[in-house]
Amino acid sequence: MTLPRRLLCVITDERSDPVELARMALEGGAGIVQLRRKTASGRQLFEWAVRIQELCRERQAMFIVNDRVDIALAMQADGVHLGQQDMPAPAARALLGPGAIIGVSVSCTAEAVSAAKDGANYIGVGHIFPTYSKDKPSPPLGTAAIKPIRNAAQLPVIAIGGIELKNAAEVIRAGASGIAVISAVSESDDPADASRELVRRIRQA
Amino acid sequence: MIVSSGGEHLAQRGLVQKQAQALAHSAPVIFQIREKMLDASSLWALCHEIAPVIDAAGSILAVNERFDIALAAGAKGVHLPESSCPADTVRKATKGLIVGQSVHSETSALKASSAGLDYLLFGPVFHTPSKEPFGPPQGLERLREICAKVRIPVFAVGGITPDKALACIECGAWGVAALTPFLDAGSMPETISRYLSFMPS
Repeated sequence: MTLPRRLLCVITDERSDPVELARMALEGGAGIVQLRRKTASGRQLFEWAVRIQELCRERQAMFIVNDRVDIALAMQADGVHLGQQDMPAPAARALLGPGAIIGVSVSCTAEAVSAAKDGANYIGVGHIFPTYSKDKPSPPLGTAAIKPIRNAAQLPVIAIGGIELKNAAEVIRAGASGIAVISAVSESDDPADASRELVRRIRQA
Repeated sequence: MIVSSGGEHLAQRGLVQKQAQALAHSAPVIFQIREKMLDASSLWALCHEIAPVIDAAGSILAVNERFDIALAAGAKGVHLPESSCPADTVRKATKGLIVGQSVHSETSALKASSAGLDYLLFGPVFHTPSKEPFGPPQGLERLREICAKVRIPVFAVGGITPDKALACIECGAWGVAALTPFLDAGSMPETISRYLSFMPS
């Protein structure tokens, strides 16, 4: 499984209707939609996931479930994204099979090397810039951290954390294959247009 | 008999491990691990640690909702909340696991039963603080109706002290489930046998 270059990954937030957000993100050219909603019930997540996976198929985009390997298994998602506090990647791989996309969040070279050894298909590297989407006790990594982490893991990097229109191209030029955003799309007045602009910036970088 | 863990109530460190070890000295039960405060990585590690202990005791470890963790950690079962992924999709994804589900209405009970699940947990039958979020007590008559309508084993839950277990069995329940009486791991085997003594074998 190889990841296309210059990819926009849109992650759902805690407030919007995730299906509607996914629809608009895909309309704007997002290549990955990641469903992440920590407070939703399993049934709710399953129902959203089934519909978003369908939308992604229509657009030849990938659908990834955050943390919940059970949901991904039940509705046969394209893949999962695992944080350092989630199920270990080898366990997820054993359940999902060789065809699934498994992404792992890392914030340093050591975690990146483990993720590669664990069979991850890409690493989510962050946070790059200051961000308010999640509570972050550590300082931002900055774009200079991308290349050494990528080289250590030999895996595509999807950069995350505080990425928006004005810095998206810089992240790609620093060596990331793609960018992941939450608020830059979900909090925009027009998520489709915000996605379209981000895609344009990263393609031109 | 189903024993539910619930470390979020008392935050007793190591309670689950103590309960798992105590099962070695008790009649077999379904041990439902229900630690909502744990992230997936910690829950996986905990289940991985206690699954062999519970297996060796002849009991069944059932992980709450996360059947992925049950499969990955070697647990023998999964226990679904009422608002889980659809039961039939879980059934399909979990070949070989024992799959049960909590139900609070006849509609959910029938759905779970027709999805081919292995058992149901119905309640709350009596009043209990730990089941308050699931509505007022449903009573023994509702339990009797549910047991008559489904063909799979129904466990009664909610305020069931050992002396109330027989009344539940007489309504058609296969067994009973409890959480609070087992918060003292030391007396757990004894408490389990007290329950069993009230139930016909």
